[in-house]
Amino acid sequence: MEQLIEQLKHQIIEALNFEDMTPADIDTDAPLFGEGLGLDSIDALELIMLMDREYGIKLADPKAGKAIFQSVRTMAEYIQANRTK
Amino acid sequence: MVYCIGHSIISPLGEGSQANFEAVQAGRSGLKIYSDRFADVEPFCASLFDTPQDFVELCVRSAQQSVVSLQHSAFSLASKDTIFILSTTKGDNLNLLRPAQQIAAHFGNPNPPIVVSNACTSGVCAQITAMRLLEAGLYQHAVVVGCDLQTRFIVSGFQSFKALSPEPCLPFSEERKGLNLGEAAATIIYSRERLSVSGERCWALEAGAIHNDANHLSAPSRTGEGAYQCLMDVLQGVKKEEIGLIGVHGTATLYNDAMEQTALERAGLQEIPRSVLKPYFGHTMGAAGVLETILCAMAVEKGYVIKMLSGFGGVNAAIRLKTEC
Amino acid sequence: MLKTEHYIVITPRSVVLNGKAIEVNETGSKMLVELYRRYVGDYPKFFKMDTLCRLGFIAAEILIKESGRSPDAVILANRSASIKNDTDYLATISEGNYYPSPALFVYTLPNIVTGEIAIRQAIQGETAFYILDQEEQLEPIILSTLHSKRSTVLAGWCECSKENEFYAKIQLYGTID
Repeated sequence: MEQLIEQLKHQIIEALNFEDMTPADIDTDAPLFGEGLGLDSIDALELIMLMDREYGIKLADPKAGKAIFQSVRTMAEYIQANRTK
Repeated sequence: MVYCIGHSIISPLGEGSQANFEAVQAGRSGLKIYSDRFADVEPFCASLFDTPQDFVELCVRSAQQSVVSLQHSAFSLASKDTIFILSTTKGDNLNLLRPAQQIAAHFGNPNPPIVVSNACTSGVCAQITAMRLLEAGLYQHAVVVGCDLQTRFIVSGFQSFKALSPEPCLPFSEERKGLNLGEAAATIIYSRERLSVSGERCWALEAGAIHNDANHLSAPSRTGEGAYQCLMDVLQGVKKEEIGLIGVHGTATLYNDAMEQTALERAGLQEIPRSVLKPYFGHTMGAAGVLETILCAMAVEKGYVIKMLSGFGGVNAAIRLKTEC
Repeated sequence: MLKTEHYIVITPRSVVLNGKAIEVNETGSKMLVELYRRYVGDYPKFFKMDTLCRLGFIAAEILIKESGRSPDAVILANRSASIKNDTDYLATISEGNYYPSPALFVYTLPNIVTGEIAIRQAIQGETAFYILDQEEQLEPIILSTLHSKRSTVLAGWCECSKENEFYAKIQLYGTID
């Protein structure tokens, strides 16, 4: 799990172009949207694509993403349970 | 004020403005489900031509059609007094300037053409540009051609945005699920002089405005700020009772329609009849502003017509037409 | 009628503000990041932008900061629209590796750079983008825009065909009192 979280942080930084940010800068349990990382709606769509590309998870309903994208930890838990690659 | 002296629409619903107007009156829609038009993309609902069209050829045909009824010695597509303005977002396979040059060259027009690429508002912005250039006395006539053709590029992008409805769109409905894309070419020729066309009602472009929400690139302002400011600008000097129709954007995305509703209410225009054409043509992108302006003007015999659009980049635009002139 | 008050020219190897060169150490797109760090620094959204937007954004930022003027309209033009970013987006939908990127798709319209500038500078006036063959064609368009209302317009050429091939010449226009 810890390995997946670390890998996911790298992928988020890469996909969302967080210049100068390292995995250590992202709090595993902090909210991704609003406070925390302050992601917006385009970032959410990019995370949906990341889940598909890296883990073979297709999220058809963007609203379902809300619970999954609460934090890096909730994302990692969802990936572990649903990944197809 | 500049006068419309000719127009044309070519869409999957028909050839010519009149054929398209009648198709809408008859309730015909160009929307269909496509499952194997482009590789990889999920099935989508759109209004597409049965056979793939050549962008330049389609625009040329539309421009040609718009002058058919215009037998006037004061007008020529080849004249240095005539400027070509192309409204498009993705042009001919991502090339925007070259097709504009080819269209102008086809008619032997000597002026370097102008391409307006202002996202979904392009077709209204192109008319505003035409009006300003004519009013500044730089040209006598402006040929505004709006066109976009659907590609794997565009459909995949809108799908990645989760913006497409898999079914025919439902603008201003609580059940709306997103937009449908569409293909069309439409042309309006504006002139500084009212060149009479036999048997056709004349209409004029009187005012136009463009405002940015300064809020978000892909989501409209919740308060409809840019759209509201556009409406307030084009309403100047006009009584609300004199407005016959408001051609809204009505894409049927959750946020666009809510934003337009807010802007219309803030401007006190919620009671005025609206024209929503996306269920017939889909969102024809660069063609939308031109196509929808023509059909709105044809639908109103007396009074003002307002046409509004909003798009990516936070941009909003509106124009005011006078249908008796 | 039309007065050019301030202008900036940015190429991959130089930045010139009102005729005076601004010293830079980097070249190409790295130079744009260098300028961002020097003149802005606190707008991480910059790193999400494509090169066309970074170019227009940084040019507008320097011009507005140095002139002390706040424009109420943004009118930009170029020859190749958003071709550099269009090409980047195309790479995400190649057959056999089809993962269309929404973050790239949003930048596949040339007018997005005018939107980025409007958001940053809180400009609720007109924003527009034109595709033209020659820079000279833009002047009558700006002139006719100013003709219809009194304003200060940030306008000019903003072109990026490849990652390290770009050119911006942006000016502030206003009506003379």
